[in-house]
Amino acid sequence: MRDLQKVIKLMLMEKKDIILAIFLGFIAGISSVGLFAASGYLISKAALTPPFYALIILTSTVKLLGFVKAFAKYGERLYSHRATFTILSNLRVAFFEKLEPLVPNVFHKYRSGDLLGRVVGDVESLQNFFLRVFYPPLVLLLVFVSTIFFTSFYSMAIAVILLVGFLLTAIVIPGLFSLRQMKINGRVRQERGDLSTEITELMYGFRDLKLFQQLDLKQDQLLAQSQTYINEQKQENINKVYSQSFNGFITFIISWFVLAVGAYLVIDGTLDGIFLAMLVMISLTVFEPAAPMAVFPIYMQESRDASTRLYDVVDDPDIQVSEATTTVDQLPDAAPALIFRDIRFGYMGDWRTTIPKLSLSIPSGSKTAIVGASGSGKSTLLQLVLKLQQVQSGEIYWNQHDISTVSGNAMWEQAKVVLQENHFFYGTIRENLLLADTELDDVLLKSVLAKVQLNLFSLDDHVSENGENLSGGEKQRLAIARALLKKGHLWVLDEPTSSLDSRTEQSIYHHLFAQAENDTLLLVSHRLTGLEKMDQIIVMDHGQIIESGSYSELMEKQGYFYQMKTLEDSLL
Amino acid sequence: MQNLKKTVWMHNKRLYFLVGLTLLLGFAIVVQAFLMTTIVEGVFLENLSFSAITTWLVALVLILLIRAVSDYLSKRIGVSIASDVKRDVRKRLITKYAQQPVQLAEKGQTGKKVSMLLDGVDEMDSFYSQFIPQVMQSTFVPLLAMIVVFTQHVNSGIILLLSAPFIPIFMIVIGMKTQKKSEEKLEKLASFSGTFLDTLKGLVTLKLFGRTKRQQDEIEKSSLGFRDTTMDILKVAFTQSFMLEIISMLSIGIVALELAIQLIIYESISFFTAFVILILVPEFFTALKELGTTFHNGRSSMGAANKVLEEFDTEDDTIKWGKRELVKQDVPPTIQLDQLGFSYPDSNFHLEAIDATFSPKQKIAIVGASGAGKSTMLHLLAGMITPQHGAIKINQQDLVHFTEKSWLAQLSYISQNPYIFSGTIGENIAMGTTASVSEEAIQQAAQSAGIAPLIESLEKNYHTKVGEAGRGLSSGEKQRVSIARAFLKKPNVVLLDEPTRGLDLATEKILQQSIEKLNETATVITVAHRLHTIKTADQILFLENGQLQAVGTHQSLLDNLPAYREMVSIQQGGEQA
Repeated sequence: MRDLQKVIKLMLMEKKDIILAIFLGFIAGISSVGLFAASGYLISKAALTPPFYALIILTSTVKLLGFVKAFAKYGERLYSHRATFTILSNLRVAFFEKLEPLVPNVFHKYRSGDLLGRVVGDVESLQNFFLRVFYPPLVLLLVFVSTIFFTSFYSMAIAVILLVGFLLTAIVIPGLFSLRQMKINGRVRQERGDLSTEITELMYGFRDLKLFQQLDLKQDQLLAQSQTYINEQKQENINKVYSQSFNGFITFIISWFVLAVGAYLVIDGTLDGIFLAMLVMISLTVFEPAAPMAVFPIYMQESRDASTRLYDVVDDPDIQVSEATTTVDQLPDAAPALIFRDIRFGYMGDWRTTIPKLSLSIPSGSKTAIVGASGSGKSTLLQLVLKLQQVQSGEIYWNQHDISTVSGNAMWEQAKVVLQENHFFYGTIRENLLLADTELDDVLLKSVLAKVQLNLFSLDDHVSENGENLSGGEKQRLAIARALLKKGHLWVLDEPTSSLDSRTEQSIYHHLFAQAENDTLLLVSHRLTGLEKMDQIIVMDHGQIIESGSYSELMEKQGYFYQMKTLEDSLL
Repeated sequence: MQNLKKTVWMHNKRLYFLVGLTLLLGFAIVVQAFLMTTIVEGVFLENLSFSAITTWLVALVLILLIRAVSDYLSKRIGVSIASDVKRDVRKRLITKYAQQPVQLAEKGQTGKKVSMLLDGVDEMDSFYSQFIPQVMQSTFVPLLAMIVVFTQHVNSGIILLLSAPFIPIFMIVIGMKTQKKSEEKLEKLASFSGTFLDTLKGLVTLKLFGRTKRQQDEIEKSSLGFRDTTMDILKVAFTQSFMLEIISMLSIGIVALELAIQLIIYESISFFTAFVILILVPEFFTALKELGTTFHNGRSSMGAANKVLEEFDTEDDTIKWGKRELVKQDVPPTIQLDQLGFSYPDSNFHLEAIDATFSPKQKIAIVGASGAGKSTMLHLLAGMITPQHGAIKINQQDLVHFTEKSWLAQLSYISQNPYIFSGTIGENIAMGTTASVSEEAIQQAAQSAGIAPLIESLEKNYHTKVGEAGRGLSSGEKQRVSIARAFLKKPNVVLLDEPTRGLDLATEKILQQSIEKLNETATVITVAHRLHTIKTADQILFLENGQLQAVGTHQSLLDNLPAYREMVSIQQGGEQA
């Protein structure tokens, strides 16, 4: 609930549209009630053969109210939706602002794909919060208060009945169903998650299941799971339908009471019979805007869940960054020396430590290659240097500074990075290259594209989301181009050329090493060939350095590296 | 569309029931109007006593109850039809997917199938649970209301009859103008949340390049742009409902005016008739308006339903199997490839007329460049695809005459990327066989596959959970689990897709030793990437572009086949130059 309050606070930034939406919603609701009241009165009056002008006035009123209602409804929809989408935009910006300092800390705990999908989905589902949870009850309240006030002039008793009806249909019944909904909803979500796992396992493990003849068994399990999930969904839907029908029934009963009590009062003489039709018509229409209240609990629940999940992430104490601990905001514009001292690191939730204990020294301006089997901790080491992950014990020094005291921005300003997965944004090649520096001119950009052998591309070529229209090799080359363009003196390269053939690789390395001549360079390499020119090679296995030295030293030693090299040479 | 209708008519009994309930609902609505009018007229004009109207009041309560219950039941039927359809469709989909050749299952369509099975089927729900009951209500209730109005007062009926068609006409006119445009825009809208995701995913990159502030402005700008596009589309929808509103208001107004004039000036109708009509007319328009919104909402779920049902129309090659049991013997069978040929539907690749014979316990290496057809051969041998030409003969009998089960029962397939299921590591090894296995047997297998020390170092040993898709295991470890499965199974034929790279030296060694050991009792057919494997093979099948260039030992191929010599020598230090 506290989280929803934060959402409300963000929402209230759009006061003008909100007030307009509520006002127009009220006008629409009340003119609709007025319209039916007037037509009920008109008929009754007509039955008593009134003067013709009275009839004209009444019918004009009916018409006028009709138009007012239609216009007000249009305006209400317009403003409420405009408010909703502006609010959504504010929410996005607000969450981006909140999430931004938490990256990359947030990825220590949450898997990036899951998390981001969730943030986007949850922000999206909050659009229902304003549209279906926040303002309709306010409109409803206003319409009812005015209607009840109006009826009280004719009959206090009927006003009281309407009040009771309002309390029942807008508060009590939705509340009760809300409670039931909460229980079912949790179960549906749970079953859906389980089913999703079953399906994923069946489809992705299809070949193995088939070969191990477990397919039938798994298929049965899946169908059983699907059945329980469908049953829960059915339960949820029946609850929804029940809630709607029940609420509808209650409004009829209220109208019935209005009719019965009204009739009694007319017979009694306390109410003029001419108003009875009008009051009945009022009771039949005033509940119309209350109908959406039947689905209110569902959207309420959804919004609450969404906001809780969103704030769970950004307020998670495990991943908060305190800016106070960093004292160094600027690093010298020169090649750094790096020292790892007894570092230990394990991913959250993993059952073993990725790097149990490791020490390493990288002199300023040196070129270091890190090699080893997949899963040996090479990439993790690079993530640690970039502060994309944080050591659990031990220290990493950037010259004399412990990097835990250095602000991330200061370090990233100095780093030229190519990761295994490089992100490219929707836009053009130029826009993606200009990330490095917005001041660069096209001539320079083109020359760099030539260096990475991407001269076939024009700077205006389109890049789709996530760079999906580029091949793996093209993405790697574009990432290298981006790094070449960026300022800084520490190169961090994680298998930058794994999708390239060795000839292209050599040519690109040629340019890269020429530019990096005086810089410190860290390269995780998937290939052992071509490492002769590195100052040192670090060989890792299971998070530990098992060998290090220059290429010729390691080959002479005939140890692990030598064997890896022999194996690589024997691969077809 | 045909399929969709079929799924609906499969539940025709409940559909008739639904029609019945809807008629009952319409009936209740009409009777309610009459009862209410009777009561109002009774006290207002005829000065009846309260006791005189009690019967009517009681009847009214009953009718209201009938109205609510029939509404509830008809919606409930929709829900239960939806549940049944979802169950059937999911079952049929799974059966269909399960019969597809593994080849297809692995051609990057897995993601699509997963979402089809989960979301696709779920999205079908509202078509059956909401759309169908709503369409019925919106068809029968106005019809009934109009008929009753006609019986009461022809003029009012005519007004309804004349104004009602304006509703669909307006919707069509506005719809035609904007439909295409708004659909184009809607596509953009759908991709917008993708753009937000794009930015979030790129946050690390943005940070590394010091560009987060600029991107924040970008989000706001594009968000507001998105809002404006959305509003353009919504305005169309709002205008539609505005017009509906105006039309219904106008005709309600005209009906009321006409009734009043008839009442006063001509005195041709009674208050009773007038009031009944006044109550019924809004019901008529409300139902019609709902039909509009229902069609709007129904479209998307209809689209989803059609997409799922289209899946059933696509014809797939199925895999052929026979009825005969292939009895597992102590000695592996002789496998003969007899003019074996295969080609994929959308590709130029052909595997052509392969002839070879694998004697029991031989070690076979299949080599060739990528795309030469090595994996296809392995898949054919595993029975994951059926040969289009020639045959695979097991002890002189065509493989397709045997049952799938009896062939798979004597086969182990060790792939490059074995799938690890969520469960314990012990359960994952036990998958190797369909028979129940003892704890010792599992440990024995793990020992032979060289993964026992690792498992025993874990806190929960063999009961350690390995997560979804085997999270937490490196590729070397997955490979060893897969080998352990093979040891447990004791197969007669082992198919091995040798890993290309990325294994640590320890796993490499274990892989070699384990395969040797399996080879003691089984024929091992390897897609080979390691020189060691090739050198020790009894027969090498050298493939080039789907054609078998030669069969022989390493030495004989080196001597006689320049292409083979070239391939081997390039790898041996060729790159170092």
